[in-house]
Amino acid sequence: MNVIVNRVAEFLKRFPPFSFLDKEDLQTVAQQVEIQYLEKGETLFTQGEPARPSFFVLKEGTIHLVESTAKGDEIREICDEGDVFGVLALLGKRPYLLTSKVTENSLVYAIPVDVFEKILEKNSRVALFFAAGFAAGQVVVRQDLSQGQKARGEFKKPTGDHSLMIFSDQYEVKVSEKVLTCGPNDSIQTAAKLMSTAQVSSIIICDYSNFPLGILTDKDLRTRVLALGISPDLPVSQVMTQPVITRKKSDGFGNLYLTMIRNRLHHLVLTEDGTDRSPVCGLISDHDIFLSMGNSPAVLIHALMNTLDVGEMRKIRDRAEQMLRYYLENEVSMEFVASVMTEINDVIITQALEIGKNNLASDFPGMNQVPFCFLSLGSEGREEQLLRTDLDNAILYADTSESQSERAKEYFLKLGEQVIEVLLACGFDPCPAKMMANNPEWVQPLSIWKEYFSEWIMRPTPEALLKSSIFFDFRPVKGNSSLAEELTRHIYEEIRKKKAFLSFMGQNALQNPPPLGFFKDFMVEKTGEHKDHFDIKARAMMPLTDLARLLTLSHEMVGINNTFKRFEKLAEIEPNYADLFQQAGKAYEILMRMRALEGIEHQNSGRYLNPKSLGKIQRQLLKNTFSPISELQEIIQIRFQLDYFRR
Amino acid sequence: MNWWEFWKSGKAKTDFVQSYLEVNAQPIPGIRSIDQLIFTILDTETTGLDPAKDRVLSFGALRIQHGKILINQSVEWYPESEISGKNTVAIHELVEIQNRITTDDFARKFLGYIGSSILVGHHVGFDLEILKNCLKPFGLSYFPNPVIDTFYLAIRLEHGPQADLSRIKRENYSLDALCKKYEIEPDDRHTASGDAFLTALLFIKLLKIARQKGIITYEALLR
Repeated sequence: MNVIVNRVAEFLKRFPPFSFLDKEDLQTVAQQVEIQYLEKGETLFTQGEPARPSFFVLKEGTIHLVESTAKGDEIREICDEGDVFGVLALLGKRPYLLTSKVTENSLVYAIPVDVFEKILEKNSRVALFFAAGFAAGQVVVRQDLSQGQKARGEFKKPTGDHSLMIFSDQYEVKVSEKVLTCGPNDSIQTAAKLMSTAQVSSIIICDYSNFPLGILTDKDLRTRVLALGISPDLPVSQVMTQPVITRKKSDGFGNLYLTMIRNRLHHLVLTEDGTDRSPVCGLISDHDIFLSMGNSPAVLIHALMNTLDVGEMRKIRDRAEQMLRYYLENEVSMEFVASVMTEINDVIITQALEIGKNNLASDFPGMNQVPFCFLSLGSEGREEQLLRTDLDNAILYADTSESQSERAKEYFLKLGEQVIEVLLACGFDPCPAKMMANNPEWVQPLSIWKEYFSEWIMRPTPEALLKSSIFFDFRPVKGNSSLAEELTRHIYEEIRKKKAFLSFMGQNALQNPPPLGFFKDFMVEKTGEHKDHFDIKARAMMPLTDLARLLTLSHEMVGINNTFKRFEKLAEIEPNYADLFQQAGKAYEILMRMRALEGIEHQNSGRYLNPKSLGKIQRQLLKNTFSPISELQEIIQIRFQLDYFRR
Repeated sequence: MNWWEFWKSGKAKTDFVQSYLEVNAQPIPGIRSIDQLIFTILDTETTGLDPAKDRVLSFGALRIQHGKILINQSVEWYPESEISGKNTVAIHELVEIQNRITTDDFARKFLGYIGSSILVGHHVGFDLEILKNCLKPFGLSYFPNPVIDTFYLAIRLEHGPQADLSRIKRENYSLDALCKKYEIEPDDRHTASGDAFLTALLFIKLLKIARQKGIITYEALLR
């Protein structure tokens, strides 16, 4: 091996995209490098000049990428060691859009385009790097954010925590392929013997075609056989759990695991086609997962469900935040992360309600018979609350007889107070606007809630629109969800009566402050506590949330609260805008991740970012997320005729 | 070929030496701009420090053209050698290399590679002296190529062409010292190609300084 080529390769491999190349490709690239030394004041290429057959990597020194405008020169990018620039030659073969000015003596490695084109074809990670627009000064007309998001994953530092790798790679799923089975007519004792011999904690009862009929676990033997004194000679079909929830292996570990968490399963049966009308082919047990992971969602949820001690709940919620950090840093899919955190928060609410009901039972006899529903609002309602930022929730209960109404109001208000206290003790922040279940205004029977929504829809004052942005994202967490369904039906009826409401909402959605200034720099706060910080919530996330909500309401979509899932659904409903909606969804996921990481890092809400502290890749990524916003706003503008409205 | 010509040992020019001398017959015009010149930056690792006795163990070189170092034209050769230089091996940790080439092969490749380019190296006189001994059996008694020693070029650019070499501390102009001065990351291993690479980086930096001093032609550079 040529020592010189090696030295060039050694340097290149420290930086993306070269870090993604295998040894052989790296050698091929290094071999073709041309090294150039430029003095301060020189220019490598000039705006408008046709693209060279090479792109560049800065070995040492500083180079400014400058755009000449009518107002003079504007610095667009500052390149330093390891930065890749001048890639237009590689991508578009267009003239340079910027001039590269050497501001400090620089050693530049030029890499011929033709060597790299071959690599782009076969190495998707390298292609992603460029597609995502990470190279300096690369102006990509329409950023593909799904690529950006994927690419971002490639830049994470390896944390060496392999226990979490399991989430990103379904091939790492530990699935027992050999599943212990027996027939429905085998005796309970036979089944127990089989389990004992095989040293497993479960057995699947199958018919003659090996289709699953039911499952029997150690716990079932204890609770349904021994405790009840049932004869072990009876057929196992009498005590098995049925029907079994089944999935197929190719669903991916994230989905499989979520199924287990949601259904509180200890064992998940896998079949050929995912239904119980096909042969059993595997089994995942939470035991395997417990062993491979310390802070697993299943462990935490299990622990939460088994305690009504608030101090203990707080500790578990803190551990969940540790887990969240791992997930975010390991680029675990946002859908999974959000679902898991929502589930954990929901279990806390469920337990809090349990605590409250227990405490109030003696003072309010009979009240626990009144149907009610605990609603989460705002980001928690949208299943997007990763951090313990402000609580937004409410209680909806069934209309009672007039004689009971005062008593019910008192009871549910007390219940709300109990829940809020538990949540605050678990580390959640109170809502500054007091939109919480301990506020009498937001603890109401169904009829009043219907009046509230009717009023907001009929008279969309600025205040009503502000409330709409929080209350329209309500989600039943615990209790009688048919109450919530009825409320949703009512809302759609009212909106149908007054279509103009959506136009008001649209107008509201366009009022968010723009994310970028005239010079494509981040719009930071001018004054106050967060001076010079970028408000990621108000400037980037809220516009997307508002737009998604508006479109969701206009399509009368029900049951999808999550902003990125709303965009996914919108992409299905409106295929002509599918690309845009998908990008908006991805953008939102990226923003959620960035905000949560910022919040965990600084132990705050993560709402205000310091653009200067962001790395180049993060800055680019953040900017890329803005592009769907303005395109969506244009669509909204036309669709809801807002120009007419504004006059 | 006549047998008596072969008998007049060393004088007979082999065909590749002949064609090498032919490409060097045309002198480079003095006003040619430095950007248009082709440089070969070379270094050798040898069995010892005596050009008369010692031999080349490894040879590394690169090309500079249009002011750019062309990595794809870098070479690294290990010619066969009868003399085992234990001391040098110890210094350079040059362990036995598998793919050695015959001296005949090396001579051909070497002359074909350098062609009529300007030869550049640090204390390049020594390297050329020893390389000349490699080439003697094939009928070459001198290298007609223009030669630039980065040692002298560095001194000249700092102290002017009339610098009194006896008053200059030579150790300040060693390759290591110059790399430090011109902020070139040194290679921890001393290999022929490694040092040739460092010399090439040094040389492109020196050429920039030369340019600032108004040295822009071949004539001015070789003065």
